[in-house]
Amino acid sequence: MSLLIQPANPKLMAANAVKRLSSTRMGGAMVKDYWDRLFTARERGAQVVWYNGAAVNPIFQAAGIEWCHGEAFGARLAAMHQEGPAQRTGEDYGYINELCSYARTTLGCAVLTKQATVSDDGISLPGAEQDVLASRLPAPDFFVNAYAGCSTGQQWDEITYRIFNKKLPLFKVSYPFLWGNKPDHGYLRGQEWEDASRYVAQQLHKLIEFVEFQTGRPLDWEVLREAMHYIKRASQLRLEAMALCRAKPAPATFWDWIASIAPINFLPGNQALVDYFAGVKAEIEQRVIDGVTALPNERYRLAFDGIMNWNKVGWLANKFAENDAAVMCGRYTHSAFWNEPQLIDEDDPILGMAQHYLLCPFNHSAKILGELLLRDCEAYGIDGVVFHATRTCRSASNGQMVVAQMAQRAGLQTMFFEGDVADAAFYKDAILESRLEAMLEAIDARRMTAA
Amino acid sequence: MPTSEEILARLARIAEDPNRYAEAWKKARGRKVIGTFPMNFPLELVHAAGALPVVVQESGQPITLGRTLLFEFYCGYTRSLTDQAMTGQMEVFDAFFLVDHCVALLGAADAMRFELTDKPIFLAQYMASMDEAWNVPEIRKQIDLLRAQLEEFCGVTITDAAIAHSIRLYNRNRQLLRHLYDLRRAGRIRITAGQMQVLVKSSMVMDVEEHTSLLADYLAALEQENGFGEDLVKLHLSGHFCHAPPIALLDMIESCGAVVVDDDLFAGFRYISTDVPETGDPADGLTRWYFDRNTNVPCSTQAQKTVDWETYLVKSLEKSGAEGVIILMAKFCEPHMLYYPELRKELDRCGVPHLLIETEHLGLPLEQLRTRVEALLERVSRGAVASPAPARHLQPHP
Repeated sequence: MSLLIQPANPKLMAANAVKRLSSTRMGGAMVKDYWDRLFTARERGAQVVWYNGAAVNPIFQAAGIEWCHGEAFGARLAAMHQEGPAQRTGEDYGYINELCSYARTTLGCAVLTKQATVSDDGISLPGAEQDVLASRLPAPDFFVNAYAGCSTGQQWDEITYRIFNKKLPLFKVSYPFLWGNKPDHGYLRGQEWEDASRYVAQQLHKLIEFVEFQTGRPLDWEVLREAMHYIKRASQLRLEAMALCRAKPAPATFWDWIASIAPINFLPGNQALVDYFAGVKAEIEQRVIDGVTALPNERYRLAFDGIMNWNKVGWLANKFAENDAAVMCGRYTHSAFWNEPQLIDEDDPILGMAQHYLLCPFNHSAKILGELLLRDCEAYGIDGVVFHATRTCRSASNGQMVVAQMAQRAGLQTMFFEGDVADAAFYKDAILESRLEAMLEAIDARRMTAA
Repeated sequence: MPTSEEILARLARIAEDPNRYAEAWKKARGRKVIGTFPMNFPLELVHAAGALPVVVQESGQPITLGRTLLFEFYCGYTRSLTDQAMTGQMEVFDAFFLVDHCVALLGAADAMRFELTDKPIFLAQYMASMDEAWNVPEIRKQIDLLRAQLEEFCGVTITDAAIAHSIRLYNRNRQLLRHLYDLRRAGRIRITAGQMQVLVKSSMVMDVEEHTSLLADYLAALEQENGFGEDLVKLHLSGHFCHAPPIALLDMIESCGAVVVDDDLFAGFRYISTDVPETGDPADGLTRWYFDRNTNVPCSTQAQKTVDWETYLVKSLEKSGAEGVIILMAKFCEPHMLYYPELRKELDRCGVPHLLIETEHLGLPLEQLRTRVEALLERVSRGAVASPAPARHLQPHP
């Protein structure tokens, strides 16, 4: 994701700003190129699928079509502070602002795209004006919904389907929530996990049949295997690079991994993706060798739970840095996005893909979320956990208060701040600031007591 | 023979405090009480296991400790569930079962599980997408899972015959309630929206045979009083998933010079709209019921390309003669927020005056809302002067 870094406090920026990896700039350029190319899909005669939820894009890559990930575009608009036209369009259409802001934003985009490109009779209007970024998505040929964990995700594509007058095909992948009814249930284990994996894998085969029907040609399985080979390698490099950040003080932080979400989430599986993560890893390795740290004066190591507040990424990065707080890990970065590459069988990738879709960080029970967080807190030497209570995202907020209690019982400080994925109105800087200061003071007090 | 008012008063007391009823039932029978969550749980299975199935209701208590496990921006129902778990209001329940995939409900159930460590909370997730052929056997599989889990938990064998018997009992109950709806639509009886809520809500929490018996008595005792009065505006109440809107709100609406002639509320017609097939394999019947309900009264919590709530709504207006619609939306209910523009578009297209009212757990500004309801009724009345029967000849969007 392209991030606009703003100093939270310009006076402190030079001394205390987070030193971000320079290699992630390449990811920003790759992502920009991806979107710019997608905007011209119609002119190039390409078929386009709009999809939401899990990273089913390798299937589209193997089908030779172009793909638009709805939340990713909503996040991009918010990160670029260009979400306004889409959200205003959504509001005019009738959406209440407590509705998921990803949904509101991308449904607003759908209305704008439809107005610009499709007549009420379903006729394409290829020469129409699409002057604001939010309206530049190419009209879809069909939809795929693949949303794990969040019921709203599936319902939202039902509405996109209706915005386009119910005239375009829609395929839905359904996911069991990994609830854990039986004692054998755990992370990557138990009968429930096995059953859910098989059920989703079967649907992916159905999805492939659907895509083949829409394109009129068979899926190129060699391309799919190759894409998954690159994704697996990129994922391994990402995890290896993350592991290097256990060093104290940290050579890179959570914010670098936030900047790397878009590439691992929806860019094509190819050598460029592998090169990107190899570059990130190499830069971190070099920093470790050279003793270069992400923060000039790291005093606290924090974990971040919740989905990202895309409007405020740079702001937040610097806000934490100003307080000498290195944010090290998070659910959205470290427990998501092809994060268990050993599950991918490159020769027969469908089951491993299905399992990754089930591993969406919003598709676990609170107990599992807590266990994953505590695992990461131990690995990264975390002092406290920051919970982003995402105002319009119930799936990201689910379980957070339970997880916070689990963290507290494990001796970690915790704090909450309210914000949102794509609606800046729900974020209040003063609240974050005061709560962060209070948490850091509590960590100091605990250290003094221990000493 | 008790009067209709006496029966209604008894049902209202139970609907108001279902846990007290469940405690008495449990004490008298020595069997388990199982809490279920809206909106698609097959109560018949729990009944067939010999336990009392109760659709857990929103509590009338303010939310206090529940705030420590669920955020303020969840719907009132889910916040209330969490609060009830944390404030000892769920002692009567031995376990909880749910099938619906609602992200907020799962969040609340998970918080309850953290708090109520001695009470199993079992999820047999019904896929919400209804268009795929492969999801039919998947739902059937979940019913089999539920059945096995209930057998284990209750220590009984649930026979096909027992399920079939329970299906017949629940069908009979739903049929009586639908008969009341038919009478109300036809203008043959006057049942207020609040009274209708009591009749349906009590059916969610009571022993089905006892409830059916009381319903039969109620029907017999009803006087054939007619009479909406020609000057009352006929309204349809729409929406409000999972839990019942405040009766004070419903009373206020009707006190403005309106009469509610139909609804698609969950604590209303949506809940009792559909019977389970009584022939064939009973588990297959319960599977069919899940899909049939959404065909009969479409719900935006489900993902189905072939049915539209707005089409159903407009057809309902034609059937009942309702002249306006009040959409009742529980604040923070995402499936309803997502679908609201589709309802609005179609009602506008058909020229049906409508009003959106968002409800909260407690503390509705009734006097402010009264002004908005009165404005709606005025719009309907003005439309009626211009066009004698605006809602009677509506054509749903093709």
